[in-house]
Amino acid sequence: MARKIPHSDVLVTLMGAPHESDRTTSALRLVQALLERGNSVAVWTCGYATLLTQRSLGTEKPRNLADWNTAYPSTTGLVQDLLDTFPERLRWYGCRFCSDDRGADDHLPSVVLRPPAGYAANFAAADRTLMVGVL
Amino acid sequence: MARALALVEKAYRGALEKQFFDSLYLATELHRQLGGLDILLRGRAVTYGIEAPPVPALRMGSRTLDTLSDPRRDLRALIAAGVGVWAERDALAAHGLQEAPLLDGVRTVADGETAARWPEYRMVFYL
Repeated sequence: MARKIPHSDVLVTLMGAPHESDRTTSALRLVQALLERGNSVAVWTCGYATLLTQRSLGTEKPRNLADWNTAYPSTTGLVQDLLDTFPERLRWYGCRFCSDDRGADDHLPSVVLRPPAGYAANFAAADRTLMVGVL
Repeated sequence: MARALALVEKAYRGALEKQFFDSLYLATELHRQLGGLDILLRGRAVTYGIEAPPVPALRMGSRTLDTLSDPRRDLRALIAAGVGVWAERDALAAHGLQEAPLLDGVRTVADGETAARWPEYRMVFYL
């Protein structure tokens, strides 16, 4: 039986790769702002954006040799924080094919992996969809 | 020993993802390992050489994220460590910054002028 996708005010589809530009930063700032204003948000990651929630990243980045005592959260840690802070209004989906294709299938437990063919259901469950970047 | 020249023209990549480990962070280590480094800022990266307020903190989830890299702070540290930094004038003009205040120690250069000096360097690479 097909999964029932909960309604969201906005679906943010992260197509572009992290590290390439400040696109991911801008998108996550938008997600934060939408949530702080009471909206419900769904994020769907495609392509290399599926790397953002890999458990292998840990919750913190590797130590900074130039600033040994500062902790830097990983994207996995940041997404977990977002999900913990807005548990009722943020959902995070990952494309299963993109994850498998990159050997990046060990996501945070709260990330829901979806087949590419399931995207239409996520799209239909959102009032607005924002496509961010290109695959 | 001749110095190395690093061309930096891609800028603002992955503030959240990298936070500290960016091209200027790596430049510090290359300066040490290669026996001296010069940096040519081109394209959007010339904006790194312009005076600007510190990078603000971001709200993300429940936390305030104040660990994003600040390219101007990092350039100042590189200059203090002996790295030579130039910014191409055409790129500054393309961003409307020809009159904007440069960081102390950042010099401007005409397009192509640095390329004419490549033979003086032991290596030239994009960073």
